[in-house]
Amino acid sequence: MRILDIALKDLSQIFRDKRILLFLVAMPIVFTLFMGFAYKSGKNNDAAKDNRIPLGWVNNDANGLVSRQLFEMLSDSDSLRLVELTPNAVDESVRKGEVAGALIVPLGYSEQLSAGREAQLTLVADLNSAQGQSIFQSLRTPVTQLMSAVEIARLSAETLGKPNDASELNETFASASQSWSASDSASLVKVELAVKDNFLGDWYGDNPYNQASPGILVQFAIMSLVTSGQILVQERKSRTLQRMMSTSLRPWEIIAGHTLAMFGVVFFQIALLVVFGQLVVGVDYMNAPLGTLLISVALSLWVAAMGLLIGTLVKDDSQVVLFALLAMFILSALGGTWFPLEVSSGAFATIGKLMPSAWAMNGYQNILIRGLGLESVWLPTLALLAYALGFFVLAVWRFRKMDV
Amino acid sequence: MSKAIEVNNLKKSFGELQAVQGVSFSAEAGEVLSLLGPNGAGKSTTISMLSGLLTPSEGDASIMGHSISREPLLAKAALGVVPQDIALYPDLSARENLDFWGKMYGLRGGALKIRVDEVLEIIGLSDRQKDKVSTFSGGMKRRVNIGAALLHKPKVIIMDEPTVGIDPQSRRHILENVKQLNAQGMTVLYTTHYMEEAAELSNHIAIMDMGKVIAYGTHDELIRMVGEQTRIEVTLNMEAEKVLSSWRSTEGVSKIDSLDGKVTALVDDSNRVLPRLFEAASKHGVRITSVDIQEPNLETVFLHLTGRALRD
Repeated sequence: MRILDIALKDLSQIFRDKRILLFLVAMPIVFTLFMGFAYKSGKNNDAAKDNRIPLGWVNNDANGLVSRQLFEMLSDSDSLRLVELTPNAVDESVRKGEVAGALIVPLGYSEQLSAGREAQLTLVADLNSAQGQSIFQSLRTPVTQLMSAVEIARLSAETLGKPNDASELNETFASASQSWSASDSASLVKVELAVKDNFLGDWYGDNPYNQASPGILVQFAIMSLVTSGQILVQERKSRTLQRMMSTSLRPWEIIAGHTLAMFGVVFFQIALLVVFGQLVVGVDYMNAPLGTLLISVALSLWVAAMGLLIGTLVKDDSQVVLFALLAMFILSALGGTWFPLEVSSGAFATIGKLMPSAWAMNGYQNILIRGLGLESVWLPTLALLAYALGFFVLAVWRFRKMDV
Repeated sequence: MSKAIEVNNLKKSFGELQAVQGVSFSAEAGEVLSLLGPNGAGKSTTISMLSGLLTPSEGDASIMGHSISREPLLAKAALGVVPQDIALYPDLSARENLDFWGKMYGLRGGALKIRVDEVLEIIGLSDRQKDKVSTFSGGMKRRVNIGAALLHKPKVIIMDEPTVGIDPQSRRHILENVKQLNAQGMTVLYTTHYMEEAAELSNHIAIMDMGKVIAYGTHDELIRMVGEQTRIEVTLNMEAEKVLSSWRSTEGVSKIDSLDGKVTALVDDSNRVLPRLFEAASKHGVRITSVDIQEPNLETVFLHLTGRALRD
């Protein structure tokens, strides 16, 4: 209960300061709009004439009936625009971003399927990207339908060898139906990871705010390290920390109370930015509302705990600002809040992915860019919670050793 | 009577510095014990250890029978601490501050409200309860600072120099508060470097210097330590260096110290010694501009024990 009392007291003090609203609300909104505009300006508009996703088409089964049928189905697609490629041009075209991915039809594809043998298409794409996911989803339905049609045709041909046998006909139909329902569309297309140079242009799909909104949200959450770190410094300066320590409060209760308050502040800011992102700039956080909530809670807890740890490490306000700004620049840059980690070099991206900020970005991007659901944020949430717990334990440990 | 506070060989070192060097004293339940000593004597460090803010390097102490090392939470629960500095939230009102600290001491609901009203009455700030602490005078802040330590009706209250830097009216109010609290049965450990406060309030006084308790007793017991000696304070028209060594060797002068243009001396018989001091001053071309002769008091005791004036 006393933990809650400390938190409520902190919140009461924080929200009495009108300047805090400028920092918490106005600045992140302005930055979100600015960054979204910047990403939008950087995007190549030449392809705007045809909004369909360009998909490379490599047909090694040129005379095959099935592959020709597949080409016709995909050519009619509302979401895909086929670009014919030679096998050797695939990697370069994908890397340069001329196509978002490439579908490779293997040699003898039609013949294999007609004979009832397994055959697999190959999709070269990055399923971590919005377009990679879109291509994969767009391919699943036509490929499944095509495979089923081939299966029915094959079974029908076998049945027609016995045209007067009604029971055989029923059996064929049942087999075809079973074959249709049992078909695993995902296994019909093998996916190979694509490597692209100019990923940024299409990374955030058709809305640049898909990067700007969560990026600024995470960055400003990290900026709250300043407020969070200053809580202990201010308490120490006003000697109220000493008075608190002379009561029967345990050190962890004091840290927990302040952490809870900062959690409230950061979560409040995140909630406002999520609402702004959803309602004003069309970022679909509500694609997975529970996922958005989970990742936001974990992010808030991590920032609050880390801020309190900073508070136990420093002597005065200026040191808090120094530590917090240092942490903010490192965590924001390496965590992919300014630009997606996918466009950075190997070492940068590898280190970056260890950062808690990267886990937060990954969680939001799973929902916003990759169109995934609640299940996709469990891992980022747990990673952030682990960071939060780690920083909290360190803060309590440091606090116990602190000379108040 | 049981011991409300018992301190046994308490030590605290900060690196090479031994701030408290084996302090021992005790206070019976219901008494006022003053720790008297100059700045840097180790009073605040001792109190910080008793309050749980610092861990003793050696030794132990107990509050109402609870060891500060082994049962710190029980010891703290029996204790109210008035820190030397104002330990309040300036952006909250007096009432909000007291509400918050009451909650920290475990008070809730109606009991909290009633107790906050009582404490506001005690500290004489009921009519200013809704004003922010930042708008208060130094003395009013000190009173809220004391009030915050009284909310849970502690058995023992520690007051660390609560009258430093405030106006005479607020100081008088605080001293009266201390007497009232003590009259209600509260044990008070009071640190000060004002000997008048220690003399006025205390049942017992422990004089501290250089991290040690150098004398302990009632006011009268301590005064008796200096015998018939008189303390004289002399103001000169120049720095005392020219005449100090001569005065130090003057017959009848037992201790002498100089600070801020004033010379304080402990003498056996002021009627016989003063003319000698005037004569020596005259020889060195120094003029005495004022002389103050005082009956033995705690200042005299401190000078007697340490050779230094208490105010430094």
